[in-house]
Amino acid sequence: MNNFSVKDVLKKNVMAIALFVIYVFFTIMTGGNMFTSSNVASLIDQNAYVFILGVGMLMCMLTGGNIDLSVGSFVCFMGAVVGIFSVSNKLFATPLPVPVVLIIALAVGVAYGALLGFLIAYMRIPPWIATLAGYLAFRGLGTQILITASETSAISNFPSEFLAIFSGKIFESGYDSMNIPCIVLGVIGAAAVIVLNITGRARKVAKGYQADPMWFTLVKSILVAAIIMVIAYQLSWDGGLPVVVLWIVAVLIIYGIVTEKTTIGRHFTTVGGNAETARLSGINNKLVMFCAYLNMAVLTVLASLIVTARFGSANAFAGQNFELDAISACIVGGVSAYGGSGTVVGMVIGAALIGVINQGMSLMSIDQDTIKIVKGLVLLAAVVFEILSKKGNKRQ
Amino acid sequence: MGEFNIKNFLRKYMMLIAMVAVVIVFYFLTGGKSLLPQNINNVISQNAYVFVLGTGMLLCILTGGNIDLSVGSVVCLAGGVGAIIMSKNLPWPVAVAAMLGMGLLVGMWHGFWIAFIKVPPFIATLVGMLAFRGLANVIMQGYAYQVDDASFLSIFGGGDSCYIPDFLAGVGPDVGLNKTCMVFAVLVAVGYAIFTFINRSRLIVKGYKVDAIGVVILKTVLIVAVVIWLGYKLASYKGIPTVLIWIAIVLGLFAYITSKTTLGRNLYAVGGNEKATRLSGINTKMVMFSAYTLMGLLSGFAGILNIARLMGSQPTYGMGYEMDAIAACFIGGASAYGGTGTIGGVIIGATLCGIINQGMVIANTPPNYQTVVKGLVLLVAVLFDVIMQMRRKASKKTGNAAEGGAKA
Repeated sequence: MNNFSVKDVLKKNVMAIALFVIYVFFTIMTGGNMFTSSNVASLIDQNAYVFILGVGMLMCMLTGGNIDLSVGSFVCFMGAVVGIFSVSNKLFATPLPVPVVLIIALAVGVAYGALLGFLIAYMRIPPWIATLAGYLAFRGLGTQILITASETSAISNFPSEFLAIFSGKIFESGYDSMNIPCIVLGVIGAAAVIVLNITGRARKVAKGYQADPMWFTLVKSILVAAIIMVIAYQLSWDGGLPVVVLWIVAVLIIYGIVTEKTTIGRHFTTVGGNAETARLSGINNKLVMFCAYLNMAVLTVLASLIVTARFGSANAFAGQNFELDAISACIVGGVSAYGGSGTVVGMVIGAALIGVINQGMSLMSIDQDTIKIVKGLVLLAAVVFEILSKKGNKRQ
Repeated sequence: MGEFNIKNFLRKYMMLIAMVAVVIVFYFLTGGKSLLPQNINNVISQNAYVFVLGTGMLLCILTGGNIDLSVGSVVCLAGGVGAIIMSKNLPWPVAVAAMLGMGLLVGMWHGFWIAFIKVPPFIATLVGMLAFRGLANVIMQGYAYQVDDASFLSIFGGGDSCYIPDFLAGVGPDVGLNKTCMVFAVLVAVGYAIFTFINRSRLIVKGYKVDAIGVVILKTVLIVAVVIWLGYKLASYKGIPTVLIWIAIVLGLFAYITSKTTLGRNLYAVGGNEKATRLSGINTKMVMFSAYTLMGLLSGFAGILNIARLMGSQPTYGMGYEMDAIAACFIGGASAYGGTGTIGGVIIGATLCGIINQGMVIANTPPNYQTVVKGLVLLVAVLFDVIMQMRRKASKKTGNAAEGGAKA
């Protein structure tokens, strides 16, 4: 019954292992530089948007390998929109309170998402064309807004409440002492992982499902908990837990639950697996597609807020190539390019892998162009690996 | 049989009518400047790459709405390779061969992954977009290279003398026109008219359905008029730009390939129904491979035209070219699902894009609004195509129902 083998474990976790190996590789190559507190913190800070956009892209890709090319431009556009309402400028002299600005941002995101969803789901415009139009249009609009609103064609001096919500640190302390709240949150997170894994296994066993052996669950939980603790320890020496970590964790948990445990989440996978079957079994395919793109736009708004707050300014170059990063994170994380399979956890590993490669190569002072080539090849290798391993499975 | 109805006519020539409307609108917006001879000349030389890349993109789109996102980067890479070779004082034919070879290799690389390993085209070419832009920058080490080989420039349309020399300048009185250009335009117009009527009578002999003679005459007269008008405008500037000859060769060659050869038919067949095509014994993988290989080759060629016009190469060249090529195809009526589209459509689409771009530049539209307009034009063109298809399907259904009813 319990056909548990080392080979299966390796196969299932190949990307996680690759991530670990690559991280260790770069840590050695940079003489440990990769593992300093400030670099661990900047790894998270720099890649926060990839996790958020990756989740949205995952939902789109699940429905059949559909993508959204407009996210990068939309990040730029939303930055401009948030900027003109929250900072005094040539277009609007009196800034609005932060909550009002956030509501406006959300409303604009919902409006764009609904339009995109309508065009793709109900007008049957191929997703990459509809989003290509957005890619062109929003970059132009965003840049134009910024140019009209400010002489430097960038808006900065955002209100401190805004920055506190999307960047900054929780209970910030100095860099010379350990930040206690950060360690406490880390311990809570680590404990939660262990408890959830063990109770989850117990529930599976009680219901008579196949479950991993107890020792494996324990080892896995302890490993994950250890990683969380190490990260928390490193962050605690860098002033405290960044607020973006909370945003990322919240988004990942919500979408992890939605995709794995809810009917709606299952619908996304079903539509991507076989659209016709899904339709015939009573799923409203069009509504699912609509939701995927609506959701993508809303998450893009969040990503835009985080990126704008991180730089403390909205500029015309914000969001360039973000769509590529999000797509790469999904593909490297094992999300099928044809839809129907993929998990939030996989995407997280994919995003982390690309982030690590990026940072590692930058720290080794390899030039950006070579990094581009390597990133491209990693993406290609991941797709080919996925396609070939699927072929192998079929043959068996 | 030879029934003529206004609705069909409008549907068929929608984009052509849109083009005429756009030309007229910009004529008034720019106070007549958009139709000055020099500006017409510029529309052609600035948009040469759109025609060339649009042709390649059409081949990919025909196979099932597949696209190539890497063309901009490939144009930059090929151009960079060529510029570096020429800066080493090697003869320009070596550079041209290297650029075409580079394009061909890139095309085969994409074709291999897409056709044989089944990597989705948008991912394979996205990788290309990243990797080849990076490679171009690595090769050029971030520097700009100048191209000053006079014969290369004049052959591929750059610099001051990239026009067909006026052989007939000394013949007859001086009228302030480039006579070679004028004579050439008249020859093309007459040739087109003769070809149309010979073709029509051949079709009649074979028993095919043909358009009414009135429509054909009207159409021919219009096209002849446009050709001669264009010739006149170019003749009153500097004559025929060499790049126009290259565009004509590429378009002519691929119009022939897509409409008259087996490979061309296969492209349409794969896009129409891949499974049926494979089961009828056509090597669909080979067809896909050819489409992307030719796309690569044409990207290399666009790279040549690009460095000639800009008289040099920079690591940022070619950005966004993929969008222009894709837009030209869709505006020209290629289906986003594959299987339909013609070179004629690409010509109209690319010209329309070019006129809009040029018109906006002359009318002083801020560049950012220009990209917005580009995006919207693309969306409207596809929306138009999709709605038309829905209508056609709906009318087919009701038509069938009516027939069924009559039989019963």
